[in-house]
Amino acid sequence: MRRVCPHWSTALARPDILALALGWAFAALPAAGDIAYVTNQNGGSVSILDLAAGTELAQVPLPGQPAGIAVAAGGFFAVLPDTKSLRRFDAAGNETGQVALDGGPIGIAHDPLRGRVFVSDWYNARLWVVDSAAMSLTGTLETGTAPAGLAVSPDGRWLASADKEAGQVSIFDLESLALAGTVPVGIRPFGLGFAPDGRLFVGNVGSNDVSVVDVAERHVLATLPVGDQPYGVAFARGRAFVTNQHADTVSVIDLGTLAPLGEIAVGEYPEGIDATADGATVVVANWFSNSVSLIDAETLTVTAEIATGDGPRAFGRFIAERGD
Amino acid sequence: MNLQGSLAALTAVAVMVPALALAHGPTRQKVDVTAELAAEPAEVWAVVGDFQDMGWHPAVHATTGEGGNTLDATRLLTLGAADGPTIAEELYKYDAGKMTYSYRITEVAVEVLPVTNYSAHLTVKPRAGGGSVVEWRGAFYRGYPNNDPPPELNDEAAIKAVTAVYEAGLSALVDRFGAP
Repeated sequence: MRRVCPHWSTALARPDILALALGWAFAALPAAGDIAYVTNQNGGSVSILDLAAGTELAQVPLPGQPAGIAVAAGGFFAVLPDTKSLRRFDAAGNETGQVALDGGPIGIAHDPLRGRVFVSDWYNARLWVVDSAAMSLTGTLETGTAPAGLAVSPDGRWLASADKEAGQVSIFDLESLALAGTVPVGIRPFGLGFAPDGRLFVGNVGSNDVSVVDVAERHVLATLPVGDQPYGVAFARGRAFVTNQHADTVSVIDLGTLAPLGEIAVGEYPEGIDATADGATVVVANWFSNSVSLIDAETLTVTAEIATGDGPRAFGRFIAERGD
Repeated sequence: MNLQGSLAALTAVAVMVPALALAHGPTRQKVDVTAELAAEPAEVWAVVGDFQDMGWHPAVHATTGEGGNTLDATRLLTLGAADGPTIAEELYKYDAGKMTYSYRITEVAVEVLPVTNYSAHLTVKPRAGGGSVVEWRGAFYRGYPNNDPPPELNDEAAIKAVTAVYEAGLSALVDRFGAP
């Protein structure tokens, strides 16, 4: 029996966590470059990664099993399902505000134009509307059952919610916060994202495909097969990138033709995915491997892997461009 | 909570879970257990690498299934005795060259194993210095899909149960093949 050693708890004993708890606030951020804020759900922390240097700048303790993440000017927001709260941080990871969300908070999107943050309530078929300056709850929006991923359209007009158990997306008008309509998609949609041209790409965990949605017309333009259990979607260099949790790969789709361009092997259980501002690099959080993989969006090859805390999820937009 | 209350809560869960089998709690859990064996990888893989025979695990009374070791093959594990509880599983990756396979649970009662949305990998690798290393890794949510789980269906209960299954299986392999 002694030769059988469970490893799952070792991250809890990392001595550097304590050092970081005392010293992370003073971690120097680079003058400029892309920074990734990765929620480590099992480890209860956020890894702040310098993507150009390929290093972890700090690991900020954040008890409460953080999942959803949304970067914003000057910092980021994180959703903590276990402590049922939304918290706001500055760029170095210092907490600057929080609001209690009593339910099952998970996904998040930020509307910078109107100073609002939206958080999905997995258990109660609704979204919370939060004033991001005051960090106060200003309302709720009704969705289908089990809303998960949220996204704001590039033109700032629409908010989309993947209603997992309802097999649909809900589309809200961001100006009026009215429900514009719902669109049936595949089985158990979880993650989603808007392409730069405004089309909505929705990963359907249960049907192993991606629904491409015309949001203004509210209908499905195409359904594209991807790998096993698609999770998150990102865009770069005229391509969509989709993490496949059970295949340990990223599917690549050409945005012009919607043709598949291949699958890239990454770490185990890839989940959150986002692209750098210049579109050169796509970053994937590998939940089981405790790392992120960096993909060259042009050559479609993995160029680096950076260690994170335990159980990186990074569910949302997690890469920020910092400094000038 | 008194015993009556506990039983009532458990009954409520048992009734509710089948309808919500695809719903799950907020945080996926992971368990990773390894064992070092004296036997070479090929010898170990010959025993553990057949998806249709899990007889190497002491808790498994019988394995029946379809599809061999091809993708989407299924198996039904009967635990303990001929009339024991069952776990239905499905193969979603199989690589004999790399000596690894991945499978999902498609149906299990939370009273048998307090998890939902369970997937796992079993891998045999060469050990530096001779022998082999067997690694069993699982990803799953707790048995209770909603907020505020009862203690027997919370995250800790799920981790404890899966860890016990893996340790029992790998200990049996250590007994069978010896420690290096």
